[in-house]
Amino acid sequence: MKICPNCQYSNREGILFCEDCGQSLIGTVSTLTRELKKGDTGQLNLKSSGWGTARFNSKSSIIIHIRDVAEPIVMQPEAQLVMGRTDVNQMPDLDLTQYGAQEKGVSRVHAAIRRGDDTLTLVDLGSVNGTHLNGQRLIPNQPRILRDGDEVRLGKLVLHVYFK
Amino acid sequence: MSNAQDLYAVLGVQPQGSTEDIRAAYRALARRLHPDVNSNPGAATQFRDIAAAYATLNDSMERQKYDMARKRETAGSYFTLRVTPSQRVLPVLGEPQVLYLLVELLPERSRSIQHAETHLNLTLVLDQSTSMKGPRLERVKVAAHQIIEQLSDKDIFSVVTFSDHAEVILKAAPMTDRPGAKSRITMMQAFGGTEIHQGLSKGLIENQRHANPGYVNHIILLTDGRTFMDEQQTLELADKAAKDGIGISAMGIGDEWNDTFLDQLAGRTGGTSEYINSPMAVVRFLNERVRTLGQSYAERVTVSIAPDADIKVESAFRLMPSAQPVNAEVDPIQLGALQIGGTTSILFQLQIGPMETPGFRSLLRVDVTGDILREQKIGYKVIADTSVEVSETATMEEPPLAIMDALSKLTLYRIQEKAEQALARGDVREATRHLENLATRLLSSGQAELANAALAEAKRVANTNLLSSEGQKALKYGTRLLLEANTDATDATNTTEPKASPGEGTQVIK
Repeated sequence: MKICPNCQYSNREGILFCEDCGQSLIGTVSTLTRELKKGDTGQLNLKSSGWGTARFNSKSSIIIHIRDVAEPIVMQPEAQLVMGRTDVNQMPDLDLTQYGAQEKGVSRVHAAIRRGDDTLTLVDLGSVNGTHLNGQRLIPNQPRILRDGDEVRLGKLVLHVYFK
Repeated sequence: MSNAQDLYAVLGVQPQGSTEDIRAAYRALARRLHPDVNSNPGAATQFRDIAAAYATLNDSMERQKYDMARKRETAGSYFTLRVTPSQRVLPVLGEPQVLYLLVELLPERSRSIQHAETHLNLTLVLDQSTSMKGPRLERVKVAAHQIIEQLSDKDIFSVVTFSDHAEVILKAAPMTDRPGAKSRITMMQAFGGTEIHQGLSKGLIENQRHANPGYVNHIILLTDGRTFMDEQQTLELADKAAKDGIGISAMGIGDEWNDTFLDQLAGRTGGTSEYINSPMAVVRFLNERVRTLGQSYAERVTVSIAPDADIKVESAFRLMPSAQPVNAEVDPIQLGALQIGGTTSILFQLQIGPMETPGFRSLLRVDVTGDILREQKIGYKVIADTSVEVSETATMEEPPLAIMDALSKLTLYRIQEKAEQALARGDVREATRHLENLATRLLSSGQAELANAALAEAKRVANTNLLSSEGQKALKYGTRLLLEANTDATDATNTTEPKASPGEGTQVIK
């Protein structure tokens, strides 16, 4: 299944434009990818609701899968988790340099995952090449709720975020 | 004149193949397409051909006779078939998935170039009901006069006028007496109601008189009203015309006519249905249609799709030579003409059932048949068998540009369709939502005028629970025309299409 990022309609695998609203689904993560990568029971709810959960409590941790990188990164985020590249003056919480961040257009201070009341938000910190959440570009400094299984794109670097 | 079906190609074996090869090929096809295992209508159509080919080739006497006849045939290719799926590698998946398929037909270049004049057997069926009175009928007369001038002495021409009564005002005959023909047209007068069946049935008889496989046999129906009580009968006439190799194109003037009906009428014969939004455009539309008919390389082109048993054809839309919705539940599908130097193409949406095992699998068999006009090659057939890979590690690849381009525009047409369907169910909120959404999408693809029309209709629906008939047609034919503007990638300059944009003259409420 592919959940339309615009209207949340559940489209069958292979559909290229949302059957309800016409939104292009190219680049949209399918729940299929989630099923393969995540083996826990949470996926049953996920399948019926179509969306991953937004719930993220104090005991939860996040699993970040970077595309084409075998080992996922597991973290328990503080109030703010800044993602970017290391530089003489800067040291992001999550340094993406070793994953080809420079070539893929990741800024030094690119985006952050912030903790809220039982939720996480993703915010673009004014990056040059932009931050995309499930295919939609974020407006800088406007936080958006992050859900289990979401696709995040920093410049050209694609990562998937899962909750545990 | 000859039957151009190659029995070896039907079974997919070499002409020098052994009896064993032939049996093996037949069995493999039977396992996929036999009516006992496959309920798709296309499988039934194609299996008949396969069984007949096998019956001949499996009998050594019959096969010898056939081989002798086959040697006398001039071998050669007249058109080629290109079948492109939206993805070549599909994921192993426990649920149904969708695949798009672009089927394109191209004339053999060398033959297409040396192709000489095409002859028409053309019948005009013209509405002269009371509502045609004034500029509409006058412009129709001008258009008919111009067509008479365009036709050559070898073309066959006939004219039927109808209201609640139909009359043959020009009997089907070679175009020799031009002044006489013109004066008959000039005498047309508007009176009475609209009964399309009467007009079309007389028109069909005229066209049948000279219907000839070496000709483009075509009826152009022009009307401005709803026909009374005889739509079903009229559609049956269209099926009859298709069977006799006669195409029907339908043109609706103004806002009163039934678009669903005219779409079906044209779609069943491989013709085209068009919306003419002002009397001034009548001449241009009619001339353009006749000019297009004269460009024909192959006529009576049909496509049959025989998918494997776990696959369903969900929808089909002809993209070229003109954008036209077609009924995917019938097989074969009438595609109309293949033009000189042109492409005929159709986009299918398929649903494939759950797939558990990785590996290569067959998808479907595409069979395209057509009559090559100048070569007098009747029923020339090309077959393609398409397969894909199923893999556990399939990653989404970028679909072919031609499919993405066509789909992005077809999507707009489908949203418009959904709004209409919602309204037909009485779901005003849903209809409004679709129309507003259509407006947004149109605007972001640079179609400001159509976007405004969509927005105006959204407001109208929210307030009155109804679409305006002109707005509804403007959106339907306007979104359809978007598909024609750029589908021919080789002709990128052709964005200013010769047809009127039905968006013109649409009232915009702000």
